[in-house]
Amino acid sequence: MLKILSGFILGLIFIAFVGYIMAPGLMFHERVSPYGVEETVARIQQNIENTGNGWSLSGLRNPAKAVQTDGSNTLPVLMIEACSTKYSAPILKDDSVRFLSILMPCKISVYQKNDGKTYIGNMNAGLMGRMFGPMVGEVMSHVAADQAKFLEFDPSKPAPQMKVGTPGSGGAGGAAGGGGGC
Amino acid sequence: MLSRKKLLAWAIAVGSALTAVTVLATSAPTAAPTAVPATAPTTATAAAPAATPVAPAAEVKKASTSTADHSKFKELQKDFKEGPEVTKACLSCHTEAAKQVQHTKHWTWEFLNPETNQKLGKKNVINNFCTAVPSNYQFCTACHVGYGWKDDKFDFTKQENVDCVVCHDTTGKYRKLPGLAGHPAYEDTEFPPHSGKIVKAVDLKEVAQNVGKTSRQTCGACHFYGGGGDAVKHGDIDSSLQNPAKYLDVHMAKDGLNFTCATCHATTGHNVSGSRYTPTAMDKEKAHVRGKADNSNPATCQACHGTKPHPEKMVKLNEHTTKIACQTCHVPEFARGQATKMSWDWSTGGKMKDGKPYTEKDSAGKNSYDSKKGNFTWQHDVIPEYIWFNGKVDYTLRETKLDPSKVVKINTMNGSPTDGKSMIWPMKVFRGKQPYDSGNNQLVVFHTYGKDDSAYWGNFNWDKALEYGMKEIGAEYSGKYAFVETEMSWPITHMVAPKGDALTCAQCHDAKTGGRLKNVSGLYMPSTGRQNEWLDMGGWALALLTLLGVIIHGAGRIYMSNRKG
Repeated sequence: MLKILSGFILGLIFIAFVGYIMAPGLMFHERVSPYGVEETVARIQQNIENTGNGWSLSGLRNPAKAVQTDGSNTLPVLMIEACSTKYSAPILKDDSVRFLSILMPCKISVYQKNDGKTYIGNMNAGLMGRMFGPMVGEVMSHVAADQAKFLEFDPSKPAPQMKVGTPGSGGAGGAAGGGGGC
Repeated sequence: MLSRKKLLAWAIAVGSALTAVTVLATSAPTAAPTAVPATAPTTATAAAPAATPVAPAAEVKKASTSTADHSKFKELQKDFKEGPEVTKACLSCHTEAAKQVQHTKHWTWEFLNPETNQKLGKKNVINNFCTAVPSNYQFCTACHVGYGWKDDKFDFTKQENVDCVVCHDTTGKYRKLPGLAGHPAYEDTEFPPHSGKIVKAVDLKEVAQNVGKTSRQTCGACHFYGGGGDAVKHGDIDSSLQNPAKYLDVHMAKDGLNFTCATCHATTGHNVSGSRYTPTAMDKEKAHVRGKADNSNPATCQACHGTKPHPEKMVKLNEHTTKIACQTCHVPEFARGQATKMSWDWSTGGKMKDGKPYTEKDSAGKNSYDSKKGNFTWQHDVIPEYIWFNGKVDYTLRETKLDPSKVVKINTMNGSPTDGKSMIWPMKVFRGKQPYDSGNNQLVVFHTYGKDDSAYWGNFNWDKALEYGMKEIGAEYSGKYAFVETEMSWPITHMVAPKGDALTCAQCHDAKTGGRLKNVSGLYMPSTGRQNEWLDMGGWALALLTLLGVIIHGAGRIYMSNRKG
């Protein structure tokens, strides 16, 4: 009996370990962009605004600036923040999952790596949503579908202008506030 | 009845499945390619990420220690009408200054490379930015240390033609405008033309009475704006160095060492040290010492830091200094203050909208098209290209025959891993497309600026602009032109980052990507997948032979022991 129990626990530990190793890759997506950092940001911003479903830009943060202010360097990284009240409202109205507001607004990170290429990083909203019950799962599945549209680029279209700062707050990289609709 | 072993196996399987269902609700792909057709353009256009561009703050000045107050000098109490009058006043005390200046590249814009015998200098080189000075003197000489160079008849011997205050002004109010042949604006002038912006007439008396040492502002007035605008040419020199923070340049940081340009580019008799035509690629000299005569270049890293700059216990790092230029690790990226121009395609110039020239901007708000100049791309935080470089530079000059089917290297940076004179250097490689004489297969000089009807920026007619430019220099022109792809390399040496930001081992020794130096030939690089095959094979053969030896020896011992037993 002890051996059976030990085997069961070992199995749990093994899978937990595998899950631990794989989790980052499952929770987050990373892909290469064919454009430079600013153009990637500008195209994603344009897609967000064209997707509908209540999506609007909440802000654009530049974490690299903070590192520079501290006297150091990092390769470029810009974080696009977007929100849709259509999706945020049901979650924010439910006390049991209101803590998920810490994941708002929806973020997409665009950054350069040491290989000189531009990458796009975003959360796997569909997978995350399924962990918090059917209502959140349902909402987040729509968010995931829209997120996929944000990252569909049409190279035949000219590069749009990047929108800097936080709508409504007037500051660059500042707090993402009410201007974005969330 | 299930056996215990089977029960154990089942328990592991059930436990695994349960955990898998709980932890991994669903699997998802990672690092998928973007949903973009493979034919998507890959313009690496980028620009400063700063959401709010910051105007360069006033330079942090050190308190003057001068023993002379020029505002008290009788010679400088006049209401000067023009620059040469100021120079005359300067020369009344500084009698040898103009003669010294007239022997420098800053004055002649000419340089004879003693190693290659090529006649270089701004007067002779055709680059892939604004290309050439001849036929455009009036515009380009806004950056000449002289007054009145508007055509090839300029008198280089006249001492009053030397502009003293362009380098020695401390007011920040002395500005030479393009189009005035090296003169400042003597009356209120709208600049750029039709912009509505007025550049105030210079007060020469005030400027003359406030002269002093050169500063980042005076050097930067030209060198930050090389190639036709801020941050266009060098990549590691732009107006962000006017008053930089520590992250950008540890030497020039306003809250750090606060170096001026002349702190490194030590100057003797107005001759400024450091050269782009004959750079010091490998400096084997020890650090310069005050009072000791040193003939080596004082503007190298080694001139201050020596050849073993790292602490003694960091043996490996000091070993690297024999083959790796300091800048390779300590300037990990250039254009960190703002975006630099990375390419320029003249061939697309001349397009009109509603019959008028126009400009377009890229996603970051930088000019990406100008009817006068064609298309550009910009990039900030650029990872340099790395090459072996021994300091010898060969130029493709106007006379040089070129092969238009290949990319023309405006300057070829020589070097190899085996010549004993080369080090691995970081470079900005500027790529362009510019006109050439397709009948003679040579680079061409063309006329861009002028109020005549041949200037390209006025009439957008290549035939006229080329004919005028080539006639101006007395060169043969076949009358046929096309556009050729060009490259020009710029060694990266400024914008030294804090030591904590120097390249780490893994950034070069990276087995997964090949690391930063993956395109550098002739390297034995452990942990990059680029090892020397023969060396590796030899190592493995030795290991195998050792193993065989151990096995044979062990087997022999066992055999002998058994025999004895």
